[in-house]
Amino acid sequence: MVSKNITIKNEQGMHMRPASLLSQMAAGFESSVNIKANGNTCDCKSVMFLMAAGLKCGSEIELVCDGPDEEKALAEISAFIESGMGD
Amino acid sequence: MYKGIAASRGIGIGSICRLIEHDLSFEAKLVEDPVAEKKRFQEAIDSFVKDTNAMADDIRKNIGPKEAEILLGHAVMMSDPAMSGEMFKMIEGGQCAESALTAVCDMFIGMFSNMEDEMMRQRASDIEDVKVSVLKKLLNIKDVNIRKVAPGTVLVCKDLTPSMTSQIVKENVAGIITEVGGNTSHSAILARALEIPAVLSVPGIVDAVKDKDTAVIDGTEGDVFINPDGTVLSKYLIKREEFLAQKAELEKFAGKPTVTADGKELELFCNIGTPRDAKKAMECDGEGIGLFRTEFLFMDNASYPTEEEQFEAYKEALETMQQRTVIIRTLDIGGDKEIPYLGLKKEENPFLGYRAVRYCLDNVEEYKIQLRAIIRASAFGKAKIMVPLVTTVDELRSVKKLVEEIKEDLRSEGIAFDEGIEVGCMMETASASLIADLLAKEADFFSIGTNDLTQYTMAVDRGNADVANLYSAFQPSVLRSIKNIIECANREGIPVGMCGEAAADPLMIPLLISFGLDEYSVNPVLVLTARSIISKWTKAEADELAAKIMAMDSKDEIISALKAAAK
Repeated sequence: MVSKNITIKNEQGMHMRPASLLSQMAAGFESSVNIKANGNTCDCKSVMFLMAAGLKCGSEIELVCDGPDEEKALAEISAFIESGMGD
Repeated sequence: MYKGIAASRGIGIGSICRLIEHDLSFEAKLVEDPVAEKKRFQEAIDSFVKDTNAMADDIRKNIGPKEAEILLGHAVMMSDPAMSGEMFKMIEGGQCAESALTAVCDMFIGMFSNMEDEMMRQRASDIEDVKVSVLKKLLNIKDVNIRKVAPGTVLVCKDLTPSMTSQIVKENVAGIITEVGGNTSHSAILARALEIPAVLSVPGIVDAVKDKDTAVIDGTEGDVFINPDGTVLSKYLIKREEFLAQKAELEKFAGKPTVTADGKELELFCNIGTPRDAKKAMECDGEGIGLFRTEFLFMDNASYPTEEEQFEAYKEALETMQQRTVIIRTLDIGGDKEIPYLGLKKEENPFLGYRAVRYCLDNVEEYKIQLRAIIRASAFGKAKIMVPLVTTVDELRSVKKLVEEIKEDLRSEGIAFDEGIEVGCMMETASASLIADLLAKEADFFSIGTNDLTQYTMAVDRGNADVANLYSAFQPSVLRSIKNIIECANREGIPVGMCGEAAADPLMIPLLISFGLDEYSVNPVLVLTARSIISKWTKAEADELAAKIMAMDSKDEIISALKAAAK
């Protein structure tokens, strides 16, 4: 299991578009991909849970990947979140 | 006449087509063959996804990619493991597809509708829309084909869902009336994108009308008439022509620079009252912000707003404007406003009393919080500081001294800011106008506030109806004052703007061109109007008119001469 702390940067937070792109990306990995924030854990492969997590600009999250391709998943997904998720 | 929320401008006249909600009730039952039920559900989902993608394609072509995303999002939501996955599990457990769909969707609707963020709450209505669409598939209900309505149709419905909006053919739909929805709802956004006049939140309208009734809707005012008489109808036919002609005329100026008929480029900025208004200024093609009033931060607060709160608000406006100028006016408030925590006393003459820069310079520690917040925000765009109600050069010097102290503090703390941040002077008192030559040596820029300048020059309370006839920026004294301020700024080589209502007045604009005003700051909705008027005048024509006007001795004579010369 590998993890990394990241801050959500895009202005509007985890709205439809970034959540949708992020979940599609996470679904491409075999490992489980979870986000821990505000004491809750949510499955990054679900756009619904991602949006329901209420992540805003400035929210601090921990990205946790677990599985055979966890290193690659963590590197690519964290880079995507840090890049502002296409916003 | 019915009243609603004016959500999309313009006049719509046409024949009503009601989009009635279907009965979507079903009997929840346990299924005996979960495999067959899962197959039935999968077919409904496939059909839904296919329809949704086709609609999204339509929207992308007819409206734009951003709007199409709303619908693509619907397909993504339905395919989500947390959505359909959960539903399939429930069906395996023996529930019917309708129950499974409803239960899971309702759970998410509950979650989203309790969220703080308005954008996220909107997701609840997206899920509702998905639920209804899939439920219709399961129950074999077919909707009115909105795509096929006849030209000149006015759609009337409870609420316009994104999937309904996506089927609208712009040429055939003359207007939209709904019972629910506000200015930021999907229906409003899409109606504006399609430029279809829309009035939302008209209570009971669906039951009050029949198909084929004639409807007249005014999406600018929020008025709706059903089967109006000939007088109303002809009045609105004319209004529609005027609206369309005006729109076509103004659209020529969108995205263009602001230039006079002889090619001199001017700046056309907007006046705003909250950081959110900055978005509006951008949408309306404003080239910057000429007046950002900061009173909202103080009026709606229980205590003096913190540096952080203020910083965030200024930063938001600056980032929205993307390196365009944002002139932030420091607190302009006095005894006429009730702000308990400021401890301002009731005064005999609050407009001549302890207010604006006078109050601020007497409460330096508070004032420094605001100045520091603005200077910190200057790292995120092009901010300028504007001081209101200046009457002496010393006041401006004192503010500049504070600004220098704060910059020194920030430097030693290693906090970024714009070293070149300008400090300017609001020109709105008779005194400031009379010493404009002296102030111009101290200020980085001027901005003329015509409303207060008129009030203080004419010694007229603008709220008092008994003396209101004296209150006019076209009074010879006020015009002389404006001219003097502009000339003093030009002589000293500093930029001069105007942020009062007069800056967008078609009668005033030629005079301002002649006097040499650099920057016009107007209400965002007036940007294109002002740009169009500026484009009609050459400096020579404006000079000729101004010479005549400045020789006249009464405001009535001046106004009628300006009206006669208007283009």
